[in-house]
Amino acid sequence: MSEDIIELIKKNVIQGRVTQDDEGIDEGMVGQPGVTELIKEALASNVGVSDIINKGLTASMGVVGQKFENEEYYIPDMLASAEAVGAAMEILKPHLAKSGVKPKGKILIATVKGDLHDIGKNIVSILLRGAGYLVKDLGNDVESRDIVEAVRKEKPDFLGLSALLTSTMVNMEDTIKALKENGLRDKVKIIIGGAPVSKEYAESIGADGYGADGLHAVSVIEALNNHDSGVT
Amino acid sequence: MIRKGLEGGSYKLLTPEDISRINETVLRIIEEIGCEVNSDSALTALEKAGATVDREKRRARLSRDRMLELISKAPSEVTLCGRDEKNDIHLGGSRVYTGTGGTALYIYEPGTGERRQATLDDLKNIARLVDQLDNIHLFLLPTYPNELPFEEVDVNRFFTGLDNTTKHVMGGVYTHEGMRQVVRMAEIVAGSPEALRERPIISIIACSISPFIIDAKYGDMVVAVAESGIPLVCPAEPLCGATSPVTLAGNVVVQTVDSLMGVMLAQAVNPGTPAIFGSVATNTDLRDYKYIAGSVEMGLLNAAGAQMARFYKLPYYATGGMTDSKTLDAQSGYESAITNLLCALSGANFIHDSAGLMEFALTACYEKYVIDNEILGMVMRAVEGIRVDEETLAYDIIKEIGPGGNFVTARHTRRFMRKEHYQPTLSDRNSREKWEERGGKATWEKAAETVKTILESPAAGLPDEVRNRVLSEIKGIVD
Repeated sequence: MSEDIIELIKKNVIQGRVTQDDEGIDEGMVGQPGVTELIKEALASNVGVSDIINKGLTASMGVVGQKFENEEYYIPDMLASAEAVGAAMEILKPHLAKSGVKPKGKILIATVKGDLHDIGKNIVSILLRGAGYLVKDLGNDVESRDIVEAVRKEKPDFLGLSALLTSTMVNMEDTIKALKENGLRDKVKIIIGGAPVSKEYAESIGADGYGADGLHAVSVIEALNNHDSGVT
Repeated sequence: MIRKGLEGGSYKLLTPEDISRINETVLRIIEEIGCEVNSDSALTALEKAGATVDREKRRARLSRDRMLELISKAPSEVTLCGRDEKNDIHLGGSRVYTGTGGTALYIYEPGTGERRQATLDDLKNIARLVDQLDNIHLFLLPTYPNELPFEEVDVNRFFTGLDNTTKHVMGGVYTHEGMRQVVRMAEIVAGSPEALRERPIISIIACSISPFIIDAKYGDMVVAVAESGIPLVCPAEPLCGATSPVTLAGNVVVQTVDSLMGVMLAQAVNPGTPAIFGSVATNTDLRDYKYIAGSVEMGLLNAAGAQMARFYKLPYYATGGMTDSKTLDAQSGYESAITNLLCALSGANFIHDSAGLMEFALTACYEKYVIDNEILGMVMRAVEGIRVDEETLAYDIIKEIGPGGNFVTARHTRRFMRKEHYQPTLSDRNSREKWEERGGKATWEKAAETVKTILESPAAGLPDEVRNRVLSEIKGIVD
C-alpha cells in the first residue's frame, strides 16, 4: 500500500501535478489526486516521511532532471515538477522534526538593489525547493542592509544573489562587504548568478560559488552542502 | 508532432488579374500555336479528344472549350499512398507536402570533401534516411545507379525504394518494359492490381520538352501510364532565356502550356487519370547558360505555379530546396531555405527536390537530407502560421498574471509550448560554453551523426513473402 502511494507521488511529480485540478503532461489526468492530495493521504496512512521524501520526491526529481538533460522536458515542465515537490515539502515541514528528518538547508535568495529581473531567481527558487531546501525569496531590488538583516534574522545556510544588469552586479560585491562589516560573512555560503556575472567575477568578489543556470546553481549548492555536512 | 499537409497559400505572388492574363496567354498559345507531338499514340489520342491535328507537321491545337473540358476531367484531389497508411499524402487545394527527387549522378561526402558516382546502395541508404526524417513526406527516387545496365535501372530503383521506406515512392522511368515491370512489382506489393489502383503506392513522372514538344518516348510513356491507372506527374521544365522567354511571366506561361498538355493528354487517353500539374522551371546562368537550381527566381517561378495549379483546380508538383553550392556551406543553407519557403508559403501541394540535393541537382548528399529536414521543419512551421483564438489570445491568464508578472510557471505555457514552437532537431541553441563542451560541431557534423544513427537502425523492409514473390516474378533485380 505504501509502495503504491509512493509510486503515485513519484508519477505525479514527474507529471508536474500539484493538485487534482492540474493537467500534467499526459491526457486525462485532471481530477485524479495530485501531489498535494497524495502527500496528505500518505501522512494519514502513516507512510514514513523519509520514505516519502527519498523514494517519492527525490527519486522523481532525478527522473525529471534526466528528462530535462535529454531535452525531453523544458523549463516549464521542470518547474511544474519542482513546484509539486515544493508544495509537498510545505505539507511535510511540521512532520520533519519528529521523523528525525533534517531539512537539507535554508536558503535566502534576492535580486540585488536596482535590479528588477526575477525570472532566473524564481526558477532557481523553485528548483531548490524541488531539491528539498527551504527557500525564502526576498524579492527584487533589495538593499544590501535588508539582506544583512534577513541573514541575521533567518540564519540561512546559503544566500543566493541574482542580477541581470552590468550596472547592478556591483551591488553583489556591496552586499558581501556589508555582511563582512556585520560579522556575518562566514555564517553563510554565498552563490551568485545572472547573465553578466561569471565564475571569475564570483571569485573576484569573494563569493563561494557561481550558478550558470538554474540546474547548475542547484548542483553547486548541493556540492557545497554535501561538503559541509561531510557527505561525499 | 509532424507538420504536413498544412494549408499554405498566404503568399500570393500573382494577383487574380495576373493569373487571368497568364491563362489567356496559355489558351491562346494552345489554340493558335499548339504543340508538336512526336508520339503517335499521343497524337491519335489528342485528335480523338477533339484536337485539330496537322499530321504532317505533327502539330496539335485545341480550342479553349476542348481544353477546359479536358482539364476538368482531371481529379482536383489525388492521394498518394505509402506502404504504411500514416504516410499517405493528400494532394490538392493549398495543402503542402515535401519530398526528395533529382536522380542525381553523384554523392558528395563532406568529411573528405569528395564527390563520387552514385550507386544503387546510395539509393537504398537515402530511402532509409527519408523513412526516418519526419519533414520529408514522400520518397522520390533520388539517384541514378551508375553501375547498372540501362534495362535494369527502373525495376531496381523502384524495388530499392519500396524495400527501404514505407513512404510513397515516386519516380521517372527509362524504358517501357521497365515501366511495365515496375507497375507489376507494385501490384505484388500492394496485394493485387485493384489494390494498387485503390491505394497507389507508386506514381510515375513523365516530362514534356519545353517549349511545346511532346516527345516521342515520353509522350508514349504518358499514354502508357494513363492507361495503367497509376497516378502520373507531367511537369515542365522551361529555362528562362533558353527554352522560355527570359521574363518570369513568359516562363510561367510556357510551363503552364507544357504541363497542361501532359494533363490533357492523360485525360484524353483515360478520363479521370490522376494527373499532377508540375513545374521544374528555373532560370539559367547567363554566363554559360547552365541550369541553376538555387536561385530566388526558381523559388518565384515554382511559387507562381501553385497559384496557376489552383486556378485550373489541379494538384501541383513544385521544385524547390536545392542549392548550386558544391559544399555544405552557407550558400547551401540559404538557397535551399529560400526556395523551399517561397514554394511552401505559396501553397505548393508537393515540393519535390526539397531535400538532399546540391550542385545544380547533379549531386546528392546524405548529410544534406538531415540538414534540409531541419529547414523543412521550419518551413512547415511557417506554413502553419499563427493561431488566433480564445485560448491563444490568453486574456484570462494575462489577467491572472497581471503587470510585472511572468508566464514561466503558468500551466497555459506548458499546455501550448510544444504546439506553438518548433522544436529543432539539428539547429544548435546551446551557449558557446556548452557548444564547445560538446565538441564545437558544425551543422554538417551533427547531421553526420544523425545519418549514422539512422543507417545503423533496422530498415522498413518489405514483408518476407512479398519480397520473395517480387524477386521471383520480376527479372533483373539486384538483391
